[in-house]
Amino acid sequence: MMIVVSVGLAASTLFGMAVVISYVLGWANKAFHVEIDPRVIRINDVLPGAHCAGCGYVGCNDYAEAVARGEAAVNLCAPGGPACAEAMAAIMGVEVEQTWPYRAVVHCTARANQRLLRTEYRGEPTCMAANLVNDVQGCVYGCLGIGDCERVCDYDAIHVVEGLAEVDYEKCTGCGACVDICPRSIISRIPFKAEQVLVIKCSNDDFGVEVKKVCQVGCIGCKACTRFSELLTMAGNLPVVDYDADDYLLADFAASLEKCPAESLVFVGTPSRADLEATAEEELPERIVPEFETTVDKTDWWG
Amino acid sequence: MELLGNLLLIAIGAALINNFVLTYFVGICPFLGVSRRLDTAFGMGCAVTFVISVAALISWTMTEFVLRPGALVPGWILNLGARDTGAAEVDLSILSYIVYIFVIAASVQFVEMYVRKFYPALYKSFGVFLPLITTNCAILFACLEIMKHVNAREWGLVESMVLAIFGGVGFTIAIVLMAGIREELELADVPVAFRGAAITLVVAGILALAFMGFTGVGANIQKALTGETTASPADIRVESSGESAP
Repeated sequence: MMIVVSVGLAASTLFGMAVVISYVLGWANKAFHVEIDPRVIRINDVLPGAHCAGCGYVGCNDYAEAVARGEAAVNLCAPGGPACAEAMAAIMGVEVEQTWPYRAVVHCTARANQRLLRTEYRGEPTCMAANLVNDVQGCVYGCLGIGDCERVCDYDAIHVVEGLAEVDYEKCTGCGACVDICPRSIISRIPFKAEQVLVIKCSNDDFGVEVKKVCQVGCIGCKACTRFSELLTMAGNLPVVDYDADDYLLADFAASLEKCPAESLVFVGTPSRADLEATAEEELPERIVPEFETTVDKTDWWG
Repeated sequence: MELLGNLLLIAIGAALINNFVLTYFVGICPFLGVSRRLDTAFGMGCAVTFVISVAALISWTMTEFVLRPGALVPGWILNLGARDTGAAEVDLSILSYIVYIFVIAASVQFVEMYVRKFYPALYKSFGVFLPLITTNCAILFACLEIMKHVNAREWGLVESMVLAIFGGVGFTIAIVLMAGIREELELADVPVAFRGAAITLVVAGILALAFMGFTGVGANIQKALTGETTASPADIRVESSGESAP
């Protein structure tokens, strides 16, 4: 009898609490009601959630709110790509403007041994610190090759190879983290209108004589390339490519490329189909991969 | 006077001597998670203090009138139904945990809705940690501490509320101190192996060591108040060490 009474009392206690608390919370839910745009929630679901801030907002949530308010365009998300933009456009009831994916480009082409007047650097192993030291290398525009960009990349898309940062365009999403971290500001984002785009892989704005002193492959500002294409113009001692020109995709840069005495004018990006077909028949030697992992830390040599 | 002295001891005991975070290691999750910036840490401390007060108020009421052995309401219902078993007592204290969790979850939900309505910026900076106050063991710890003393017929509502509020104040002190240190730590040259969580835990440990300095303060306050040297109720855990402390 006593047990039945106890159980009954326990059950009624909890039941009573449930009733009272539900009533209070129900009232609070109504009294403290906050209006949330349902589109913000839906846009948040569509966004990749990488919070890379490549769109210029603090995180995906901020961007979603800006889009819902109509302040931001739907196509700013680089990691999400066109599919994400289309999904957001469907939610917002707008059309996606034609845009090109932006990808990071390192405006330097010199390997470690091609850069001259180099001094061994034994400080804090970051580009940020090395950049503060004079005479680490002759060219003050050249890649330092210590790899701040490699460490900041969330997508494993940029690697330092022989002292030069190289972008892996299969992985790059164009979030711009490396652009922000590079202390020498030699990484920029350019629109990839095709699988391969023409870029100027040099940032040295000095006269040719000065460039020659510090680099074997830097742009000497000879203007040769600009004579063969209207899309290439000189800005100071460096050529610039007009990516916004209407006939960019139709332009033929072959003559310009051929005439370039340095190695600064190159196509970057994934190999085009024509190139792959042309080389499909050729026999390539197999890549030699070292058999053992060395115990030497790769930060050991910062040159 | 005796009541005031007792309350003073409970307050100092909860806030400093037996600080929830740094002596009992309860409520570590928000202590480490939201102590990155000073303003959000202070907001978190205030939210926890508020929740702990509301939860303590409700759980004291429930404990005193329903849950403790020989409580008023079950006895009253029992006598209503069967007058001949009037002497029997019903012990509902097995319900205490579920009731406390229930109360805490409801108060957190309430606070969350309130903060979202009136302090959207604070709500944003809390992120996931606001709902996580539900599982903040500092609050359940306060409720259980109150239950222990109410069951022993030692504490009334006033003492319970003082414990809860000053427990919350102690939590706020701890988390604000931690946030201040961590803001400085951002600029410090920490060895690579210690960066992030490791140095945070080391700092928390040193902070806890520093708070050990308050041990024995309770006994000395009681001595000053009453002239007796018995261990104070504030030294809940370290009863004997109070006498040997200077």
